[in-house]
Amino acid sequence: MNSPTFNAWKLVSLSPLPSWALVALALGLVLGVGLAAWGVRREPSRGRRVLLWTLRLAAGVAALFFLLEPGIRHLQVARMKNRVAVLVDRSASMGFPSEPNGPTRSAQVAAFLEKAAPSLAALQDRFTVEMYGFDPELAPVTPASLAKDPARAGTTDLLAALRSSAGAGQGSRKLSGVLLFSDGADNTELKAGVVGRARAALADLGVPVSTFTVGQEALKDLAIEGLKVDDFAFVRNSLTVEAEVHGRGFRGQEVPVVLGQEGKTVASKTVRFETNDDVKQVSFTFTPDQTGRFVYTVSVPTFPDEAVADNNSRSFTLKVIRDRVRVLLVVGRPSWDERYLRGLLRQDANVDLISFYILRTLSDDPGVSSERELSLIPFPMEEIFDTKLDTFDVVVFQNFGHADPSLSIAEYERNLERYIHNGGAFVMIGGDSVLGEGRATMPTLMEALPVAAAGPANPEPFTARLTPEGLRHPVTAIGTGASSTEAAWAELPPIPGINLTQARPGATVLLEHPHQTVNGKNAPLVAVWDYGRGRALVMATDASWYWAFAAHRDGSPNRAYDRFWGNALRWLVRDPDLTTLKVTADPPSVEPGRPVGVVVQARSADYQPAQDAQVRVELFSVATQKPVAVQTGATGVDGVVRLEFAPPAPGPYKLLASAKKGETDLGQGEDAVAVRAVGPELSDASVRPELMEQVAKVTGGKAYKLPQDGLPDVPLLDPPVVEVGRAKDQPLWDRWYYLVALVGLLGAEWFARRRFGYV
Amino acid sequence: MSARRLTRRNLLLGSAALVPLLAGRAHAFGEKSRFIPAVAKHGGRWDGRLSGLRRIAWELQRRTSVEVVPDARPFPLSSPDLFEYPFLYFGGDGAFPALGDAEVTNLRRYLTYGGFMLADANDASDGAGFDASFRREMARVLPQNRLAEVPSNHVVYKSFFLLDSAPGRLLNKPQMLAATLGKRAAVLYSQNDLAGAWSRNESGDYEFDVSPGGEPQRELAVRLGINVCMYALCLDYKDDAVHLPLILNKRR
Repeated sequence: MNSPTFNAWKLVSLSPLPSWALVALALGLVLGVGLAAWGVRREPSRGRRVLLWTLRLAAGVAALFFLLEPGIRHLQVARMKNRVAVLVDRSASMGFPSEPNGPTRSAQVAAFLEKAAPSLAALQDRFTVEMYGFDPELAPVTPASLAKDPARAGTTDLLAALRSSAGAGQGSRKLSGVLLFSDGADNTELKAGVVGRARAALADLGVPVSTFTVGQEALKDLAIEGLKVDDFAFVRNSLTVEAEVHGRGFRGQEVPVVLGQEGKTVASKTVRFETNDDVKQVSFTFTPDQTGRFVYTVSVPTFPDEAVADNNSRSFTLKVIRDRVRVLLVVGRPSWDERYLRGLLRQDANVDLISFYILRTLSDDPGVSSERELSLIPFPMEEIFDTKLDTFDVVVFQNFGHADPSLSIAEYERNLERYIHNGGAFVMIGGDSVLGEGRATMPTLMEALPVAAAGPANPEPFTARLTPEGLRHPVTAIGTGASSTEAAWAELPPIPGINLTQARPGATVLLEHPHQTVNGKNAPLVAVWDYGRGRALVMATDASWYWAFAAHRDGSPNRAYDRFWGNALRWLVRDPDLTTLKVTADPPSVEPGRPVGVVVQARSADYQPAQDAQVRVELFSVATQKPVAVQTGATGVDGVVRLEFAPPAPGPYKLLASAKKGETDLGQGEDAVAVRAVGPELSDASVRPELMEQVAKVTGGKAYKLPQDGLPDVPLLDPPVVEVGRAKDQPLWDRWYYLVALVGLLGAEWFARRRFGYV
Repeated sequence: MSARRLTRRNLLLGSAALVPLLAGRAHAFGEKSRFIPAVAKHGGRWDGRLSGLRRIAWELQRRTSVEVVPDARPFPLSSPDLFEYPFLYFGGDGAFPALGDAEVTNLRRYLTYGGFMLADANDASDGAGFDASFRREMARVLPQNRLAEVPSNHVVYKSFFLLDSAPGRLLNKPQMLAATLGKRAAVLYSQNDLAGAWSRNESGDYEFDVSPGGEPQRELAVRLGINVCMYALCLDYKDDAVHLPLILNKRR
């Protein structure tokens, strides 16, 4: 039988006594030494005193030696083979060139690892070397796969990768060190640097992380970074978008920055970069003039020698909503028609009513000696029809038409026409001063209206008749369904008189005179149309108040008037809830490479969920003005269907939806979606060597930069040692000379004490 | 209360008044949206101030941009036709019998759905005569909305003229009373015989003297009448924020 091979030893106590007994005996010895020292404290000779103390102390130590029975334990031990993790950043920024016209950062790492393969293999004696790519999930990689497979991850999260590496690997083997290969472009926990919790987390790893920074800092690149904008804005209220433009290698150059809305330039500014690595803040203030969801893009031009072209623009979607509908009511003179419309608008909490009435004309004589006796104010024509016009959601002219120079709006007609064309809403209510009556013809404004004057008014009472278009239109939908709407209109009292007009091509007549015709067609009473980006409605009478007041003559409560004007306002301001088809991009901004989702909610004419409706959605590129893809589907019980498009190219898109249930058209709707050109990962091509250095410093590693000739001597923790074989004890105390020494010491002390006169 | 002497000036004014009256009688487009006073027929003396109503309509036409049809239209309070005339004058000289249930119901509906009523004690009574009867009936028509004094900052005192008080032929009560529905004064009630200050006889003279302020008080009564009509037509227009700075400045 071969004797085992011991490769380690340690000193141990072989005493059979329990620990407490050993402690008690040791205390007794200390006490004995102390008492002996106390007994000779008055010894006048310093030399004798020291000799006695020394002999007693040495005898005590010798006695303790025998008590402890020291021995040597021979051991057979072995070292654990710990892990070394090689972590390679697989985020998309590693696809950037490591230097102008050079290989990608990933390729540079692959080349280095190929070169360092022998050194890494040499580490295998003491460590298990594991090689991972992180995105930030760890996945095994090889130098070949790094060179072949492009890096795609949308984020760089160094800390998550380091945490994962500590927990990865084989069984319970501990990590001795990490070799981290990255450009340092962290955009998650370490984005702000190695500070605060991130710093503590790195220190807690307890593993030296040696960093290898890849990529050059001095790239030439322009990037739109740090876009700050709210998710929604109020229509006709100013809004500010703040963007950071990062320029590298553009020292002394001026660069235009443009804010566009779906191909149309909203605002532009120029920035000048003072240094070769400069960040400029640019803010754009603009006023959205329509409700809905729109895609806006902030962009800078792309220069030929830039490292990354995709980060030169950044898109976002903005939902523009109404606050309160701001209505400007301009009244030619007080009348019952005005009184009931005012009463309605004033009680509507969603309406902010600003009104101006002409209470006195030049021909009126109030019979006062001083204007101070009157409560009248000047008519602020310039303010409301010029400087403030765009602040109104809806402008209502109620029998407002004056030929007097002091009250004529001839000078502002073009403003009003442009206001409607550019997205405003306008209502012309008839009477004896407008729509062919009176002397003010307002030809320019009339261009924007869906009807044209067609002769003298007809004062005979008539009952308004709903047209087929009116039966379906949200403005005239005053019932809970088509039949209910038809019945509601039929119940309303006759109204006394109509302005004679004829509909323009493209206009939609909703209510008409049942008998009076113009050029063979029934004279329109209510007509609407879209004019440019705006909307206009004409009510060709000054007696719609009959629907408000006279309708109650028989005692039945009737809210037709309220519903009609409420619907009209909502339609004029394009209230999304008024549409039977609601289209919502889900989400409104899509990261590159992600699918575009859309949720369509279909309702029937009575606003009930339309189950089993066939929905068709077209993904329409705003940039190319061409459809990109089409998806179809059927709605569920709740009238809702979600469709998804394969990831399209970056840019702004419209989602154009239509729906049918059987042969019934459920209408159309649209929304906007921005497919981003670059995520946070690609928006910044910069290398952050200082971050890599800090990571190394905090964890006890070293920082290097690629390229390197070979693997440097990186700090690694030694693997722990564990006993893997037998042990053998060898007593040390059972030697005769130890006993002789003890007896000699005690005898010498006894002799000295007697010699010096002590008992 | 003596009839005034016919003068050439009054005759000319009266003749001028006929022009819009005649024009108003023509069945013209927009007529129904014009100001046409309706008069409540009840069991008492209801028709003593028809000329006053005609006169205030004429003044409204002359002094403001409002277009009027000045002939007042009398209706029983139970008539559905009331609902084509949102301005109703309810006057009387002396007590009147209780209104029928149909009248009460119809008047309540009229006021609730947007009608306006100017009540006027032609006998300037307080606690008796017309006043007692009117208060009794109002308690039936709008039991939840009792008559209350109109505060001096109410919009009716600035709806066209800037006024401080509410005189009529007399000045028994400095302010009017109102029954308010929501924020709207649906009923304004004068105990000063407001229309008495407006009334003219067929020869164009004022029918009654005005006391104690004489002709200046009559002018104020006319202005108050115009303000009341303007309030019925424009509601709280003059309470809009855009008017306030100028009105405050003028009132200083």
